Amino acid sequence: MSVSRTLSGLLTWLIPFGILVTLVVAWELWVQLSDVPKWQLPAPSAIAKELVSSSSLLWEHTLVTLQEIVFGFLAALIAGLVLAGGIAYSRVLERSVYPIVIASQTVPIIAIAPLLLIWVGYGLTPKIIIVALICFYPIAVNTVDGLKATDPDMVNMLRTLGASRWQIFTKLQIPTALPFMFSGIKIGVSVSVIAAVIGEWVGSSEGLGYLITYSQPLFLTARVFAAIVVLSVMGIGLFVLAVVAERMMMPWHFNEKRSNSMRQL
Amino acid sequence: MATDTAVEPKIRIDSVHKSYFIDGTHQEVLGGIDLVVNAGEFVSIVGPSGCGKSTLLNIIAGLDQPDSGSVELASERPGELLKTAGERLGQTGYMQQKDLLLPWRTVLDNTTLGLELKGLSKKQAQEQALEYTEAFGLKGFEHQYPFALSGGMRQRAAFLRTMLMDQDVVLLDEPFGALDALTRIQMQEWLLQLWESLNKTIVLITHDVDEALLLSDRVYLMSARPGRATLVLDVDLPRPRHYDMVTMPDFSVLKAQLMEPLRAQSQTFKFQPIKSFEQAGS
Repeated sequence: MSVSRTLSGLLTWLIPFGILVTLVVAWELWVQLSDVPKWQLPAPSAIAKELVSSSSLLWEHTLVTLQEIVFGFLAALIAGLVLAGGIAYSRVLERSVYPIVIASQTVPIIAIAPLLLIWVGYGLTPKIIIVALICFYPIAVNTVDGLKATDPDMVNMLRTLGASRWQIFTKLQIPTALPFMFSGIKIGVSVSVIAAVIGEWVGSSEGLGYLITYSQPLFLTARVFAAIVVLSVMGIGLFVLAVVAERMMMPWHFNEKRSNSMRQL
Repeated sequence: MATDTAVEPKIRIDSVHKSYFIDGTHQEVLGGIDLVVNAGEFVSIVGPSGCGKSTLLNIIAGLDQPDSGSVELASERPGELLKTAGERLGQTGYMQQKDLLLPWRTVLDNTTLGLELKGLSKKQAQEQALEYTEAFGLKGFEHQYPFALSGGMRQRAAFLRTMLMDQDVVLLDEPFGALDALTRIQMQEWLLQLWESLNKTIVLITHDVDEALLLSDRVYLMSARPGRATLVLDVDLPRPRHYDMVTMPDFSVLKAQLMEPLRAQSQTFKFQPIKSFEQAGS
């Protein structure tokens, strides 16, 4: 199995990578062969050059944006899990708080950003709040769904073993919710980068989002692209971290999926 | 098992009724069932599907309340009777049709679940479970996750989880129903040996007449919904029993006694000969 499996594993990576390389090469050729002005569309090579020459500037702003994302995401994770636990455990909380959580999602959070500037000023805090507000919802809602997805037969089995309500929660509901929670986390991580950039656009003096809004009127288009590249690398990196954490916390989940797909073959 | 005192009933069920609200109508599932299981007995309940057998076990285990009638489970403390569902919950070993192993726990950690819930440390619980993994055919698989196991092994792991609770009364709801015929026979023989060495009171639900006769001291036949006990049959085959007995004359006599009313019950549904084929052909 190993040879063909490594080969097919390699292929699944090679194909998207190949498509990406082809696109970049096509872009490079297009810019080189036509006379698109540099300020309108810089070639990938120019963007790469910019990434190197402005690396210290980019790094400085990356650290700011990364801080906003990490703190905002962690706040959303803690608040989301605590609230989801409360909603799943208590009928009262479910009836009173959960509808508000869902309704809150209809408020455009970008519209709140200017208000946050009035209330907490510039600096890191308003961006952390925006990231947290945006990440919170997918984490909380998915985790609530997961905590309620328990098999009633499993609940009965635990009750006949003498389990208390709390033991059913910790031994059954929480492990059942883990795959759902990680779905929420992966969505949250993906939108966190967007949230931080939006927060910076509304008002800031540092961060990659700020660097973009600052460079754009100066037609430093290669720098705008360089910032975008860093942002997407950051997003991919955070997503990979979430996937690694998921695999470490749920080894059974992935082995089970693999053995099921093998059985189907 | 013979004691000088009279045999005490471990479970006594008196005219228990239970209805559920299904699809907007009131449906009576149990229609006044009586059942007595003495200490150390192996009793089977046989009946058509949907006759409320599982509901009866749920009521004995304390997962469900009867609408009327009384259910008494003798506590481990002499003389004490557990009469409410709340009192009975957690006082029986109950193994349901599905193995209900937790996919995130290894086989060993699944078997120790009940002991952990009781407050034993993981180490103590594992030491206890490891004493039995060989007898339950799980040796070498203790640290596997359940998905890697065969159906028979999963069922034995669920069985060990139930038995480690060390309850006097064990309720088995079609534990071998999902297994293939050969594995089922192996499991029946294995359960026979196990029961003969454990001195437990067992109530087994099955739709397999051979299984019921081979394992039990007494067989209750239940009617279709609303379920009632329509026949009680004492199985006076000698013990220890083994699977070869299913072909013996005594066994066949008992089987005939059980099959006749069972078939009479299922004759409420008559098969109609199919005529449409002929019509289509002509």
